[in-house]
Amino acid sequence: MIRRRPFTSLALLGMLVLVALAWQNRSHLQAFPGIIGAYSAKEYCSCRYVTNNPAEYCTAYVEQYLPLSGFFDDPAHKRVTARGLGSSQTAQWLSPRQGCQLLPQAEPLPAS
Amino acid sequence: MSIPVMRRLSLALGLALGCAMAQAQNWPAQQWSQAPVTQSAALATLEAYAFPKRDDASRTGVRTDALLVIRDGQVIYERYAGPTTAETPHLTWSISKSLLATTLGVAYGQGRFRLDAPVAQYYPAFAAHPAVKVGHLLNWASGLDWQEDYEYAPLQSSVVAMLYTRGRSDMAAFTADHAAAAEPGARFRYSSGDSNVLSAALKGMVGAAAYPSYPWSALFEPLGITSAVWETDASGTFVGSSYAYMTARDLARVGLLMQRDGRWGERQLLPQAWVEFNRTAFANYLPQAGKPGDAVPGGHWWLNVAVAGQAKPWADAPVDTFAALGHWGQALYVLPSEKLVVVRYADDRDGSYQHNQLLKLVHAAFAAQVQP
Repeated sequence: MIRRRPFTSLALLGMLVLVALAWQNRSHLQAFPGIIGAYSAKEYCSCRYVTNNPAEYCTAYVEQYLPLSGFFDDPAHKRVTARGLGSSQTAQWLSPRQGCQLLPQAEPLPAS
Repeated sequence: MSIPVMRRLSLALGLALGCAMAQAQNWPAQQWSQAPVTQSAALATLEAYAFPKRDDASRTGVRTDALLVIRDGQVIYERYAGPTTAETPHLTWSISKSLLATTLGVAYGQGRFRLDAPVAQYYPAFAAHPAVKVGHLLNWASGLDWQEDYEYAPLQSSVVAMLYTRGRSDMAAFTADHAAAAEPGARFRYSSGDSNVLSAALKGMVGAAAYPSYPWSALFEPLGITSAVWETDASGTFVGSSYAYMTARDLARVGLLMQRDGRWGERQLLPQAWVEFNRTAFANYLPQAGKPGDAVPGGHWWLNVAVAGQAKPWADAPVDTFAALGHWGQALYVLPSEKLVVVRYADDRDGSYQHNQLLKLVHAAFAAQVQP
């Protein structure tokens, strides 16, 4: 088989290695898409409602190489939702001492 | 004169002397007293280094948000930049770790825990690591298989997963789930996880009822700190690794407490032995080759001491300098021999800022000046 189909064999082997790597890192990979949304929501919430910086400053402060596909700051509830890599995450301001915290469930982004 | 009267007299005399000694020192009340230095060439050089023209588009270079210098309990220099003002409770990032250690110091003075006691005694979820002691965590020497780096290994970074994804609901439990990679106390590995396990252990030390307000009642209120915010994870544990906020002026109060060996006015808030532990290098620390500027880990504070045949990390700062340091250039430097406390807040996004350079310029601008 290997001698008859050297390229197919090589491709299959490559696939196997990739699958093995993915399996080894499965928990990391599963969590990965959440990072951008969670980082942006949490750090924006704290920048805006703990540190009391202007909204415009906080937008630039949390900016990463990967762009956000959705963002909503709800000043009435001090609640910030950000979406990146297909994953939405929400941070909520809780109290003057406790500041902001990521919520277990993201709020839906408003239709735009 | 009868003995009780004598005793009372000598007690009164002792008290009066104690008051006089405390009076002779400057301590901040609601506000810091001010004794601003006059402009000098050395100060201009310091300002040119710390406050170059700020480039908010490229976010490159040294980007200081606040620089505050205290000498012997008085503000001698203060400047803010960007959106930060004297009223801004700035994010301290990993300075939080040293603030947690200082909070723990008060609990230590109250006899709430021992450094050589197993962590699991105060935090039962750590039962899988029965040999890890409280002191090991304070030296970042738990031996857990932790990956702090997030610039080069974002996928496997333990700290990113802890703060933002898999660990965020209970950061101490997330850390406890890591396997052991070395004997506890055998090697230093910087770990935000170790710090958050300490934060969870504090809950067991002081009790769940006292815990949510403990940093305030134990440390912030006695020091007159009013701007502090300390975010928690969903389990209610303070994010001791990363998420304490306060103004530069309030952080300087912690610096003055440390400069004066844990004493605040007439009160020994932290046992002197605790501060000594903070300022003792971790015995098994080996400086990394190629990183000569890395400060030496003490008890959740960073030191400028020479260890393992290497030169001290900050060549132009006194050897007794110690610091609390955070991501993106946050720093609280304490220079006891020069009676200086320096708070620097920043938003440095590259590696251009150097602790040694700032300390060198601070020394030139402030240390040598004769006080009026």
